[in-house]
Amino acid sequence: MSNIINIKNMKKEYKMGKITVPALNGVDISIKEGEFVAIIGPSGSGKSTLMHIIGCLDKPTDGNYSLNDELVSEIKKGKLALIRNKQIGFVFQTFNLLPHLNILKNVELPLMYAGYGKRKRTRTAKKVLEEVGLGDRLKHKPSELSGGQRQRVAIARAIVNNPSIILADEPTGNLDTASGGDILSIFSDLNDKGHTIIIVTHDQAVARRANRVINIVDGLIQDGNIS
Amino acid sequence: MAISLKENIIVGFSDFWSRKVRSIITVMGIVLGTMSIIVVLALVKGINNQTMKWMMERGGLSKITVSRNWQYDKPDHVRNYFTWKELELIRSLIPEAKYFNPQQRQWTRHSYEDKDYRTSIHGVLPDFSKIEEWDVQEGRFISTFDIDQSNDVVVIGTTVKEELFGNKNAVGEVITIHGRRLKVIGIMAFRYMKNSGAFGNDNAFSYLNRRTFVPLTTMINKGTGRDNISSFTLKATDAESAPALREKLSNIILNLRRGLPVFEVESAKEEAEEMAKNQKMFQMIFYVISVISLLVGAIVIANIMLATIQERTREIGIRLTVGARRRDIFIQFLVQTILVTTIGGILGIFLGLSLLDLVSNFLGIELIAGIAMIFIALMVSAGVGLISGIVPAIIASKLDPVEALRYE
Repeated sequence: MSNIINIKNMKKEYKMGKITVPALNGVDISIKEGEFVAIIGPSGSGKSTLMHIIGCLDKPTDGNYSLNDELVSEIKKGKLALIRNKQIGFVFQTFNLLPHLNILKNVELPLMYAGYGKRKRTRTAKKVLEEVGLGDRLKHKPSELSGGQRQRVAIARAIVNNPSIILADEPTGNLDTASGGDILSIFSDLNDKGHTIIIVTHDQAVARRANRVINIVDGLIQDGNIS
Repeated sequence: MAISLKENIIVGFSDFWSRKVRSIITVMGIVLGTMSIIVVLALVKGINNQTMKWMMERGGLSKITVSRNWQYDKPDHVRNYFTWKELELIRSLIPEAKYFNPQQRQWTRHSYEDKDYRTSIHGVLPDFSKIEEWDVQEGRFISTFDIDQSNDVVVIGTTVKEELFGNKNAVGEVITIHGRRLKVIGIMAFRYMKNSGAFGNDNAFSYLNRRTFVPLTTMINKGTGRDNISSFTLKATDAESAPALREKLSNIILNLRRGLPVFEVESAKEEAEEMAKNQKMFQMIFYVISVISLLVGAIVIANIMLATIQERTREIGIRLTVGARRRDIFIQFLVQTILVTTIGGILGIFLGLSLLDLVSNFLGIELIAGIAMIFIALMVSAGVGLISGIVPAIIASKLDPVEALRYE
């Protein structure tokens, strides 16, 4: 399989007033299409920063990042939005659903920005919500659901445009063990269907599900690959 | 591959609806602003109309009036009236004047059988009826023959007729005025114009209906015994030539009085223009006040939108994450602001229109609404949305997605 993600000597610094804080200090990562990768590391190790850059939400200070053999630094802003919309799905620890919209509308959101019409949006969003077991809650607001259910909505939203990559930032961090397990099973299933899964976590249980674990400490990759 | 405007409007609407109370408060300024625009524009139009109507009813725009200048304190040896000879001279110098009517007036007692009525009697020429565009409703008006013969005839207003004759026929009867017996030859048409201001009489023209008219020569020769005339009216061929005639006449009269401004010469056309100018000024003041109040509304809305965007920072981050372009965010918030102000504008227009009758009754002035002013109010309210929404929308669209997602 070809590499879907290629990162070479990536650095990221944050400027906080006059102080420059390094987050990534020269990271090299390659991820193949269809892999299930866990990026683990302690808080402040730079793993979330790495995920934001992979997800085209942030830009590195230095180094190269190519996605599908395309150099992200050379992609225009409008097209980056398109990539976030079509090629990448995000799942967050805090779900990040829009509280005033029902879950159907939440899942429709990426389809709306993809330019699909109302009927196709509703049909597709419904189908995906049924797949994650929430077909009977379409009109519920996120606040009316449990944490595990909310995370399933977030997953539905992430996969509704059928992206090749799913990025998850501590997806089980706010869930009890049982719900967390369910969510991880969904990720495994998605991986079986061919999606590349990248989960950022400091939870070893999550890491055990992955085919590969990348350790990151102080903005550096520790020990290549663990299978 | 973009979120359409229609989609944005739907999103804007649902945003508007999901924050009802805030939206309504936001909209209040615009509602009141557009409401006042509608009322003020209708009021200005109503006043303009009223003034023009008055002008037209009182002889139209080609009328010129010469009267004593009460503001001028004349020296004792200068006459503030014209003699018959002077009037003949003036008339011969302005052949282009279509009609010409010198007049005298007196306040006196009119009696018929056992009834008495005190009112003003006017000595006029036949041209009076042409200048004032006011004819008899019964009988006839004073003729050239009456003037030549100084006939003992009188034409009376409808009020005089009612006071002296009641329901009885008046034409052909003889009434006594100032001890002289005069035959009633006609009754002037009833005059009416709705009184604006709502004080006193409902009919602004009731004073006209109380007048009586006799041949000027009769009045001079058999009544007052003096041929001094302090005012006259005339009519140019049309409104356009009236200012030039006014200018010419003014110079003639000044020459007759060695340059002293004993008389005032006014043309209805120029008066109307002067009034229009004054009204324009008032209109401008009204506009400025409306615009200021709407600007205040705009600032309030901009402020609320900024607060809204602050509150919705995380939402913006989420939208960017799932594929919204910066342009989509910009349009979403701009459309929402314009939507809010336009809804406010529409409410304001309806409120304004429904207030017109109330204001009209209160001020006693007819208010006239027009399509143009509704259009103006709508455009202005949408414009306020554009102005107040653009900066918050730019700020929203420039947010950093990672920062926005972290926002609590």
